[in-house]
Amino acid sequence: MRRYVAKRVAHAAVVIYIVATIVFFAVRAIPGDPARVLLGGDASAEAIAALREDMGLTEPLYVQYFRWVSRIFQGDLGTSVFSDQSVLQMLMGVAEPTLSIAGLGMVIALLIAIPAGITSAVKRYQWEDYVATGVSFLGISMPGFWIGIVLLMVFADQLGVVPAFGYVSFRQGIIPWLEHIALPALAVGLPYGGILMRMTRSSMMEVLNEDYMRTARAKGLNGRLILFKHGLQNALIPIVTIAGILLGVLLGGVVAVEIVFGIQGLGRLLIASIERRDFPVIQGAVIVISFVFVFMNLFVDIMYTSINPRIKYGGGD
Amino acid sequence: MSVSELFKRTIGASGGGGKTFGVRSDLLERFGQTLSRDLRAKIGFSVVLLFGLAAVFAPMLAPYDPMAQEYGVLMAPDLTSAHPLGTDSFGRDLLARLMFGARISLAVGLGAVTFGAVLGILIGLVSGYYGGYVDDVLMRAVDVMWAFPWLLIAIMLVAIFGQGFWNVMVAVGFAYIDDFARLARGEVLSIREEEYTMAAKSVGLGDREIIFEEVFPNTVAPLIVQFTVFTARAILAESTLSFLGLGVKPTTPTWGALLGQGRGFITQAWWISIVPGIAIMVTVLGINLFGDALRDAFDVKETGET
Repeated sequence: MRRYVAKRVAHAAVVIYIVATIVFFAVRAIPGDPARVLLGGDASAEAIAALREDMGLTEPLYVQYFRWVSRIFQGDLGTSVFSDQSVLQMLMGVAEPTLSIAGLGMVIALLIAIPAGITSAVKRYQWEDYVATGVSFLGISMPGFWIGIVLLMVFADQLGVVPAFGYVSFRQGIIPWLEHIALPALAVGLPYGGILMRMTRSSMMEVLNEDYMRTARAKGLNGRLILFKHGLQNALIPIVTIAGILLGVLLGGVVAVEIVFGIQGLGRLLIASIERRDFPVIQGAVIVISFVFVFMNLFVDIMYTSINPRIKYGGGD
Repeated sequence: MSVSELFKRTIGASGGGGKTFGVRSDLLERFGQTLSRDLRAKIGFSVVLLFGLAAVFAPMLAPYDPMAQEYGVLMAPDLTSAHPLGTDSFGRDLLARLMFGARISLAVGLGAVTFGAVLGILIGLVSGYYGGYVDDVLMRAVDVMWAFPWLLIAIMLVAIFGQGFWNVMVAVGFAYIDDFARLARGEVLSIREEEYTMAAKSVGLGDREIIFEEVFPNTVAPLIVQFTVFTARAILAESTLSFLGLGVKPTTPTWGALLGQGRGFITQAWWISIVPGIAIMVTVLGINLFGDALRDAFDVKETGET
């Protein structure tokens, strides 16, 4: 088991390292000179050259690369070209709203998906199933940002029950925090919940047909107990894995939703940094996001390998 | 006749333990049956057909030039007469813009998935068939692709190569390569051990013949289902990019761009954002319904990767 975990962690680290390398070179392939962008259109050639020198852009690419790699190993993601702030600090500054929305979105998705999926599987081909499946179909067919616009229109604009724009930290109170992230979280959570509900349904249906479920029923155990103790426990494994894999979808959703609600999060920072050719920030943001994504999945994987003795460690993928 | 077909006819074995079907003709038959029997397939197919036709014939059918500005009817909610779906903030007819937008949105969606499918399936077939070192290298590459959330890849690719029809198509499609590669590889691994593959090898067929004549046709059912589901997703992805201003071109009407333009006017003219959103939803819903019917018809298990 320990060897398996070590192998997986090493593998994930290599993936992250390659991701970082690709990002470094890809970012430098973005057309546009950051020094020129920073100084504006009417800067003199000397001023631009001086700034390029200052930013270390005149050195050969491989020197820049190795310097950057060695800094990353020290946990230094560099300094923003635009604001002179450390990239890590900037990312921490915007992480809170993004994580809040993604987190609450995930909670909403799971709260909808799991009960709806179980009901759907148990009441297969009855009206409960059709309603739940229909709603989940609607959920996966709408762009999250559009759900955001509709919610904004109805709840903020017409009914005025929640504020329409911006973000308030939870340190200033849980209620205002929730009020600000409720709609964005719903907007990212609904499509994600739709996908998860379908997975819960099919996973649960499969489990319901397993021998141990039949045995449990034959033993005369209480139906509800069987469903939750034996059924859900086993059905949850693939659901949790898929929740991890779909994190990427969720993160993508958050970016567009942040724009709709005027929230200064990771997505906005990333898009603004691309417009400003702020290389260090783009690199940092992409690496951190990929890092979180890969390790979340690794964590989920190891977690369920350790809970489920049927899964073999080592061999194969 | 391929070896797998021969096997099916002589022994009546269904390749892949009932998961896939031995031959292509069988698949087409199923396709037709699904379309004539399954309500979901009927609805889904009709919706997609309707939007597809509207897109293809937009230049003939659209009531106005999508770029023509009419200053007398800025943001008109004129839902009855001249502009059935109203006009936008420049007085441009929304129905016409929607129809022209369908051209881009549907073409990018289909093209993106085709791009991802062709590359991904090739990688998966080669990786699964040869195994060993080739498999290791290709699958590590796929792992790296997988580690980038799709929107990041798309944003970076558009930033590097610029906006434009083909670039956006590739940017959206890139994210599907790894999914198709994994699926194709998994299918190949299960088929590689099938008797007809061994038989093909033993009668002296070359690797390429075996891959394309024997293995690929037998992986088709799950790949078709994946293709359908991903087309729905690609249309959503394109609309997200356009909405963020990273789509085909800011001035081109696409569904996502129309939605984005209307966002600032929600209080005065809600329909500018709502109508394109409904178009996206109905189309994607149609494709998803169709895909779901196919999934049942082909008996393909739903996996989390899709």
